[in-house]
Amino acid sequence: MKILIANRGEIAVRVIRACREMGVPTVAVYSDCDRLSPHVAAADQAIAIGASEAVRSYLDIGKIVDAARRAGADAVHPGYGFLAENAAFASACRDAGLTFIGPSPEAIALMGSKTEARAAAIRAGVPVVPGTERPFDASASDGEIARAAEAIGYPLLVKAVAGGGGKGMRVVDARGDLASAIARARSEAGAAFGDAAVYLERRLTRPRHIEIQLLGDRDGTVVPFVERECSIQRRHQKVVEESPSIAISRDLRERIAAAAKSVAQSVGYTNAGTIEFLVDRDDRGVDAFYFLEMNTRLQVEHPVTEMVTGVDLVQWQIRIAQGERLDLDPRGALTPRGHAIECRIYAEDPDRGFMPSPGVIRAFHPASGPGIRDDSGVTAGYTVPVYYDSMIAKLIAWAGTREAAIARMSRALAEYQVLGIRTTIPLFAWLMHQDDYRAARYDTTWLDRVMAERARRQASFNELDADEETLVTIASAIDAYLRARKGSAPADAGFGMGAWQRTARSEALRE
Amino acid sequence: MTFEIDLDGTRRAVSIEPAGQGRFRVVVLGEPRTVRAERTSEFGLSLTLDEASGRSREVTVTPGSNGELLVGLGGRTVSVSVDGRRRRGGGDGGRDTAGEQAVVAPMPGRVVRVLVSRGDEVAARQSVVVVEAMKMENELRSPKAGRIKEVAVGSGTLVEAGRVLVVVE
Repeated sequence: MKILIANRGEIAVRVIRACREMGVPTVAVYSDCDRLSPHVAAADQAIAIGASEAVRSYLDIGKIVDAARRAGADAVHPGYGFLAENAAFASACRDAGLTFIGPSPEAIALMGSKTEARAAAIRAGVPVVPGTERPFDASASDGEIARAAEAIGYPLLVKAVAGGGGKGMRVVDARGDLASAIARARSEAGAAFGDAAVYLERRLTRPRHIEIQLLGDRDGTVVPFVERECSIQRRHQKVVEESPSIAISRDLRERIAAAAKSVAQSVGYTNAGTIEFLVDRDDRGVDAFYFLEMNTRLQVEHPVTEMVTGVDLVQWQIRIAQGERLDLDPRGALTPRGHAIECRIYAEDPDRGFMPSPGVIRAFHPASGPGIRDDSGVTAGYTVPVYYDSMIAKLIAWAGTREAAIARMSRALAEYQVLGIRTTIPLFAWLMHQDDYRAARYDTTWLDRVMAERARRQASFNELDADEETLVTIASAIDAYLRARKGSAPADAGFGMGAWQRTARSEALRE
Repeated sequence: MTFEIDLDGTRRAVSIEPAGQGRFRVVVLGEPRTVRAERTSEFGLSLTLDEASGRSREVTVTPGSNGELLVGLGGRTVSVSVDGRRRRGGGDGGRDTAGEQAVVAPMPGRVVRVLVSRGDEVAARQSVVVVEAMKMENELRSPKAGRIKEVAVGSGTLVEAGRVLVVVE
């Protein structure tokens, strides 16, 4: 087997690492701006697939299938994002005689439609969040949608049928905001997914986002894993995940895992997938869970599951695609060893509403040491492109207890250096010290509420005390002095790679 | 040698004289001190403000993408300018709202929608342009109440950071 990885960045590097360990040769693909990306250097072969805009490279099914043919690959791993949940891509791979490392195109299509997935969950006897059972396509009238909204009640969510990752989703608190929310969700979904259909769902006010990773083989065996807690979100995008959730009892874990397993089995699911649930505590303190959606691919946050179970999910994806039977101990998969936390490091400025911060990474020193896992996709000298998602790395900490994992994450965040751009690291360093986080008193709305409150009083995650301000001022002046004395340009005149370095790097690239 | 250091809008003059063996005589706000400083890497400095304490701090000074310096200390990063080489774009705080104001693209991206036309009256913080960058739609708001004097872009325009999109008067 030779595997082409139809993705970029950290996830392409992650898949290549699994392949290396299994002795499987790899093929990377890259767009114009990604020639110097680490995933290109990591693979055995690399094929250029076109312009930097994703629609002309990583989202172009024809180019990727053609690259696989040219490179002599016989399997394709889609990673996450891009074409990972595109049934047409999975079909195109199958038609070209390529093994798609993921579920069948039929399962992707079924679970990719949020309304069909809801129907599948209902058929499997799993509770769903109240909402519209049929999507509203572009021809649906505002009046028709408004009537459905009245039946569900406010607050509600407008969600793109093809959506994911918080894109094409809007919160509507009152009926006056419905029309504009639908227009925005449609526009975003149309641009991102080429499908402007939306549906409505009741918004639980203080839910936790709990999800179950699972693996399924071709014989119909499905193994669910211990839950991941993903309630720390900004604008409906996960930023911190952990496993296990301290809010989930063993009994609830077994019930949610069983529900996930029955949904997956009812649709004949194979390979890796994740079923997302909302868990809401009612007035009597009883936890109820609701099926939210299924992601028919590897998740960004899969490492926390790997850390607490010792299972390499990517290697299992490949083994399942090769026709191997799942022989994992189902008890072990549901029994976490210790605790793992992941922070998603984005090239964004948390002090300015998570404004993207693309640019040149001048130096890059990820954290290391006991219990630390670095899943990054950048290096020093790398320019964070404006064309793709702004996540540049994931930092994962494992320890015997949650408290120790938080301490370890704090230590690692203080070591982590990404110089030249802004990142979300200062936000995480702050978060690890918050009482609400440490006590796990949060739900999916917590971070947005805290951020809004901080924005009102213009609080910064990069606050310095008076002594630190003096230190920074002196350091800046000494830096300017040393650069002036050396006769080199001041630090802000730019220190990109030299021409020799650039030449050496491009020569090191394979065709 | 004297440098003017601007940190968060506060300017301080800092004079630096070498004192041998990695030491510098530094005067900030009239207060003289001896500082030990060594380069640890291209962008790293190890600073000891008080040698008796044995406490050194690692500070990084790196060029950022907006012309400012990014100075890192203990996991935090602040913007600094030296001798008036000021960052472009700037923060939202403290902006003068008199006269003409431009709504500027804070990052490269694509204009998805222009929500106003020339001559429209707008309120302060009213959304005027939606720019898609890195897969998210970002609403850019008017910095002041006023009238739209100019709309410099249309929907679909690719814009660089710093490009003027709309002018409000």
